[in-house]
Amino acid sequence: MKRSCKIAIALALILGSTQATQAAPKKSYRVGAAVYGLKAEFMQIWVGALKEHPAVKSGLVKLTVFDGNYDALTQNNQFDTMVTQKYDGAIFVPIDIQAGAEAVNKAFAAGIPVVGSNTRVNSDNLLSYIGSNDVIAGEMEAEAVIKGIGGKGNVVILEGPIGQSAQIERRKGNEQALAKNPNVKVVEMKTANWSRAEALSLMENWLTAHPGQINGIIGQNDEMALGAIAAVKAKGIDLKTMPTAGIDGVTDAILAVKRNEMVSILQDARAQAQGALDILLRKLVGPSYKPSSPIWAQYAKGMPWNDGQDKVYNVPWTPITLQNADALLKDRQK
Amino acid sequence: MSDPTPAPPAAAALVAAPPRIQVTRLLSRYGIIVVFLVLCVALTLANEFFLTWGNWANVLRQTSINGILAIGMTFVILCGGIDLSVGSLLAISGMVAGSLVTGIHAHNPVIAILAGVLTGTVLGSINGLLVARLSVPPFVATLGMLSVGRGLTFIYSDGMPIPNLSMGFRYIGQGDLLRIPMPVVMLLAVFGICYFVLTYTTYGRYVYAVGGSEKSAKTSGISTRLITFSVYMISGALAGLAGQILAARTTSALPQAGISYELDAIAAVVIGGTSLQQGGVGSLVGTLFGALIIGVINNGLDLMGVSSYYQQVIKGIIIVAAVLLDAFTRKRQQ
Repeated sequence: MKRSCKIAIALALILGSTQATQAAPKKSYRVGAAVYGLKAEFMQIWVGALKEHPAVKSGLVKLTVFDGNYDALTQNNQFDTMVTQKYDGAIFVPIDIQAGAEAVNKAFAAGIPVVGSNTRVNSDNLLSYIGSNDVIAGEMEAEAVIKGIGGKGNVVILEGPIGQSAQIERRKGNEQALAKNPNVKVVEMKTANWSRAEALSLMENWLTAHPGQINGIIGQNDEMALGAIAAVKAKGIDLKTMPTAGIDGVTDAILAVKRNEMVSILQDARAQAQGALDILLRKLVGPSYKPSSPIWAQYAKGMPWNDGQDKVYNVPWTPITLQNADALLKDRQK
Repeated sequence: MSDPTPAPPAAAALVAAPPRIQVTRLLSRYGIIVVFLVLCVALTLANEFFLTWGNWANVLRQTSINGILAIGMTFVILCGGIDLSVGSLLAISGMVAGSLVTGIHAHNPVIAILAGVLTGTVLGSINGLLVARLSVPPFVATLGMLSVGRGLTFIYSDGMPIPNLSMGFRYIGQGDLLRIPMPVVMLLAVFGICYFVLTYTTYGRYVYAVGGSEKSAKTSGISTRLITFSVYMISGALAGLAGQILAARTTSALPQAGISYELDAIAAVVIGGTSLQQGGVGSLVGTLFGALIIGVINNGLDLMGVSSYYQQVIKGIIIVAAVLLDAFTRKRQQ
């Protein structure tokens, strides 16, 4: 009796599992995430968040991360690899908006859907794109500094590497905010190549060239803003008299926000990474797929799921404040 | 032998008039000083803030890191080699020290600094072993270390910067000793010691001898292997020290610190008249002024608000012109 019972259960299990395989033709999907490079904190957080996605943890997705090493050709080659190894789908963070298009087209021709994330790529063959609008961030940070200096005075702008899309768009945002405030003058504007050490030297020199005349600092990313802060501190200037802003929300910047030294705007790497995988899975699994990342609930208002069918998803920016700083830091500790 | 010791170059630059007795001798040996003075006069006329103590503190502070790297590089190039790994060694050394001076169990900064310098020394010794013992061409051995060192930095830090270095540690980057910034004190100390070693000790003569002709050095009974090994160790140790200053200056250990710093260090050495083609020709005084010229160009162009596009062009032209003028002066003196 017991034995037949066991057989029945085993049979039921086998039948059940075959039925399940029929409903979803594959048990797991091979997904490649091609990112432009893993040398900066932001992409580290992005990749870390992708690996934390419920679908990756449950084994539904077998994830491979490709480090593009900041080179368009390397990324292109990695797409060749994904095509020959018949990956089911790809998430793409390209280094170059134009050169990346070729890679997307190759994957498209091979029937591999590609979702863009974080940085744009100029291709119609992209299934969807999820990122944050840098123009808005540039405008938000400039407005924060302008407000901090009371709507009039002199500011300096630390720019990203000239020609990179984030630099171009953040500058556009900076300029939009400045255009609305004719009493704010830009006394200096120069690239520090996203680098803290370069921004430190540049700011030291500016403080000498314009003694007592600089009222606020707009850094197009946090690293540069932090470099400028180090220069201001070393000069013995009270940071409260020198409103400073950055973008991205790297850990060091959150700590600086807590010390009341700067304003930073969080670019949500987790939403960009996990959101991209959900959009991709919606395509791979089919209409039955429900997004499993908590980010869709978090941004239900600013970025509705819309069944994963939108061409562009704009992850809202979150200003870092004393209220949310601790929670963000706790999130990073994992 | 009974010559008075040369005036400290930084002081000479400030007074803008080298001691009388040595003027002609110095000029014949170091046409580069003329170039440096011409640049300083031009920048003084162009910008009212250039010749202020505050600005010179900036210039010297900004030159200190490249200056220390270039001093180590001079040993290597004098010996007929090259060290491409200094930027990477700088990063990993800063990272090792940074990890020791943060958190609840923060160590004494002196221990951390020693550990950082030791890291650079050990990795530099590996360069030395490869070149001296296993006859790997210096370019190849140190190119390998450039990559390995950077990779180790990312592995060690998981790609994240280490913020919040202890105040004691920051002192070597941000503090002053008798109104002189600490990085400058370190640069002058390193220069003084290395100048003495290269000029007045048997070891220093051996370095020149090995670089001039390894064969004749060997026949004269010099352990050429040991000398070759030692110069890479020195370069590694100084890269380690430079890493401490950079981390202290930016108040955090950054995994992407020092990328392509080897190029500026080599440029300083070459501007200073040390020959890349043939070993055994060159001097540390030249190197120091080479580093100062690069520092002064960067600072001056920042002060005058020259756009970064032009800045690169101007910097390149001045570097080549400096070497040309130096070669020209030497010829005439001969």
